[in-house]
Amino acid sequence: MTAATHGPAGISGITYVLPAQRRSLQELAALGQLESDPALLEQFGFSHVYVAEEETPYALALSAATALLHEYAVTPDSIDMVLYCGTPSVAFAPAGSAVDAASSISSTQRFQYPATRLQYDLDLECASTLALDQLACTSLFSAVRIARALVETGDARRVLCVSSEFFPGCAGREAIYNCTSDAACAVLVDHNAERNRILASTHATKGYYWQGDAMRNEIVASYFPTAKHVIAETLKRAGWRPDDVTWVIPHNISIRSWEILLGLTGIPRERLWCRNVARMGHTLAGDNFINLRDAVCDGSVHPGDRLLLFSYGYGAHWTALALEA
Amino acid sequence: MSADRSIFITGATGLLGRDVLARLLATDSRLRAFVLVRDMGRWLQTARELANQSRVIPVCGDLRADGLGLTPDARAAIRHDVSAIVHLAADTTFSSSLDRARAVNTLGTQRVLELAHDRATPARVAYVSTAFVAGRRTGVIGEDLHTASAGWVNAYEQSKYEAERLVMEQAASWIILRSSTVVCDDVSGHVTQMNAVHRALNLYRHGLVAMMPGVVGSNVDAVTTSFVADGIARLALRDDAAGKVVHLCAGEGALPLVELLDITYERWAANPAWRKRGIVRPVITDLATYSLFERTIADVGDASLKRIAGALSHFVPQLALPKRFDTTNAEALLGRGAPPVRDFWIPMLDHMLTAQSAPSPFAKVA
Repeated sequence: MTAATHGPAGISGITYVLPAQRRSLQELAALGQLESDPALLEQFGFSHVYVAEEETPYALALSAATALLHEYAVTPDSIDMVLYCGTPSVAFAPAGSAVDAASSISSTQRFQYPATRLQYDLDLECASTLALDQLACTSLFSAVRIARALVETGDARRVLCVSSEFFPGCAGREAIYNCTSDAACAVLVDHNAERNRILASTHATKGYYWQGDAMRNEIVASYFPTAKHVIAETLKRAGWRPDDVTWVIPHNISIRSWEILLGLTGIPRERLWCRNVARMGHTLAGDNFINLRDAVCDGSVHPGDRLLLFSYGYGAHWTALALEA
Repeated sequence: MSADRSIFITGATGLLGRDVLARLLATDSRLRAFVLVRDMGRWLQTARELANQSRVIPVCGDLRADGLGLTPDARAAIRHDVSAIVHLAADTTFSSSLDRARAVNTLGTQRVLELAHDRATPARVAYVSTAFVAGRRTGVIGEDLHTASAGWVNAYEQSKYEAERLVMEQAASWIILRSSTVVCDDVSGHVTQMNAVHRALNLYRHGLVAMMPGVVGSNVDAVTTSFVADGIARLALRDDAAGKVVHLCAGEGALPLVELLDITYERWAANPAWRKRGIVRPVITDLATYSLFERTIADVGDASLKRIAGALSHFVPQLALPKRFDTTNAEALLGRGAPPVRDFWIPMLDHMLTAQSAPSPFAKVA
């Protein structure tokens, strides 16, 4: 487990982009893209997901990052680094298909990276690039964690983290009873940010569970105690008690699963901000940050609020952030 | 003890009953025992290892049959000779339905009581029960008859409670010996017979237990076969123990649940290969959260996970109902208490680790 506990870094901007196409659980079931009965998934809080049919992951990433620079009036040359999360080889595959990307791996096309293209397309002339992979749904957390470290050590003043993830159009939309959307999310990490100061972070990786499909029961059993441990450690590092948390900003997995986890951690159930579970389900790109933006926009989050973000990445990673809004 | 005394004993083919019978025969060289035998093949296996076989008379029967299924001749012989009954036989399956548990534990006891009264001077009845007739009660559990108001965690507990009431109401002379959970043979930690506790520990070792219900103050009370068998053998026929309820439990020697999970974890983590897996201790949580987890597994778990959760559900809720069993009567009558759980828990874990017959976590569980 790794940790950082002090420093002035914070999240000064978040934008996200969803594909145009939205499907209901019933539509997904009719297309054979669900494993479970839609009625059960509805009980868990799901209703719709967004599916990229025309968009490429890169197009979503570019849209999210462009929106961030525009909305927060960020001058491109103020960005010192781009941290890109997403699978490079499929970033440019159209309509959510990985077929073209697969053939590109055996040629020099494999060295066509979305992070460098993003640097070029956004005129980020002062930014170097770095890409993160193999962290599943915790990728954007890790990008923020690295960005924080860079900012706090003076290696960078401003880092743009961009995550774009999708499933191929024909793929199933359910992963372990969670419905997933395609999405891209951009997060700006600044030194001396006025809002969303990062107070603590915790990340645990358990390599024993690397072979997810073969260890499904073990992973189900390890999920809760490890999640509880990571959350407790984050609260401890932030100097908070469970009741101090104003909002839990979740990853959009089953609400039932969150109710269990909140029961284990002692954080009151009503502190869970879960309005996006039905609207869009889970995204690999970083639904905690999407939720954080929406929670601020709908007036739920106020300056000074204590926010706990937690996510799990299949493969297997548990991660949490404590933010002061 | 009177000369050439005869007893009738049930459950003697089981691990505990066999030990009790051997101790009774060894203690009194003039004691004869009629043994209720449901499965003669199993009895013959038991008898092979039994000393003093010449003083044992197996009689075929079944707790679930009218008149215990005894032949008229056997019943007549028992009526004539037997002055005391030691009733150990029970259906200890935690997952049984109430009807099924009652058929053996409650109605079977009723039939034993009828046998006790089937003579001019009713036979004394030593009834071996469970400390968990206390069910959902919490706090200090006295060595007395409980009220039924708190309810029970499983049908086994309820059926044994109902049997206790029958014994107290109908037997002319009785003693009730309530055993805690037996987890190993003796303080060496050797385990002859795996039960639900071992299966739960095995699941924990395989990283398949996410959480356990419990509260601050939850204890795990457990005992050895040796202690319980000794207690039954010494008290079942003792005149000064008549009319008493006796807890054959660890009592003050019970181990806090948190400590038990910790020392279990540390023992297994001594193995570098196990430690490398990064398995975490189960979270101790309230019953409501645990129930929600159970419900979720029922909704989404695969067959093995459902079986595991289902098996645990029949007894682990007791961990969230903290209780301490009073052992005043036991200590006064036996002159000593049970060995503390701490004394045999680690040896028992070691035995589990080395036992070649350690069950798969996905084996069928009771």
